[in-house]
Amino acid sequence: MASAPLKAQLTDLLNSMFAMDFLDEQFKELQMLEEASGPGFLAEVVTLFCGDAERIISQLSVLLNEPVVDFGKVDANVHQLKGSSSSVGAKRVALVCVKFRNVCQENDKEGCIAALHEIRHEFDELHKKFQTMVQLEQQIQVLDSKQMN
Amino acid sequence: MASSQVVKVLIVDDDVLTRRIYRTMLFRFGFEITEAGDGKSAVNQFLTGNEYDLILMDNDMPSMDGVEATRTLRGMGIPAKIIAITADANSRGAFLDAGADEFLLKPVNFTVLTDILKAFNFLN
Repeated sequence: MASAPLKAQLTDLLNSMFAMDFLDEQFKELQMLEEASGPGFLAEVVTLFCGDAERIISQLSVLLNEPVVDFGKVDANVHQLKGSSSSVGAKRVALVCVKFRNVCQENDKEGCIAALHEIRHEFDELHKKFQTMVQLEQQIQVLDSKQMN
Repeated sequence: MASSQVVKVLIVDDDVLTRRIYRTMLFRFGFEITEAGDGKSAVNQFLTGNEYDLILMDNDMPSMDGVEATRTLRGMGIPAKIIAITADANSRGAFLDAGADEFLLKPVNFTVLTDILKAFNFLN
């Protein structure tokens, strides 16, 4: 099958993401849902997550640049990011969110800024891998449907 | 059950991603899905005459949180099964006191949720 090398590449990518704790068991739950509901679900979910995460990280940057930081708003945003990252199994991002909430609850601005940099780094790494995953899935789908026709 | 044979579900969560995941999970069982983005919208669904068999209820939402929405719906005499699904472990007691039938922590394990749906006789 023409798509076999791409499928192998996708499997390797996902295995490495699990091995390096980018992803956890919750992502496997979503993979099972995709098997039951058809292709495209995972791509939609990760795209929604990445859009949400970008928006929240930008908002956190704005909030932490204020002369007087509203730690309540910061915490609410980090809580939201933790929720969505947990929902997709984005383990490393979720873990940094926990650290972020801890320093936020101490009203530690410097700690929050450091945590935000860490979240940005972890999200950027994950985002690149998700983009590769979605591209591979799309290429596989195209090749598989050509094969069937 | 609501008047039709199909199980009618109301998903109440302010997060679009979460609602999308639950929708996909429940749609494969042939359920009819409606979404609400906060507790007030959920209550309004019933005030406008809609009926649901099952509600998946988040807690931390704008306008009206899940505990208050649950309490309000039970006060209206709504008999639907309510499963609280939230990241807030501390809200378990409040949810059950308000009238929720089950309480799950996010992220949801779909096998556990499926078992609950079976226990509620929503699945054959």
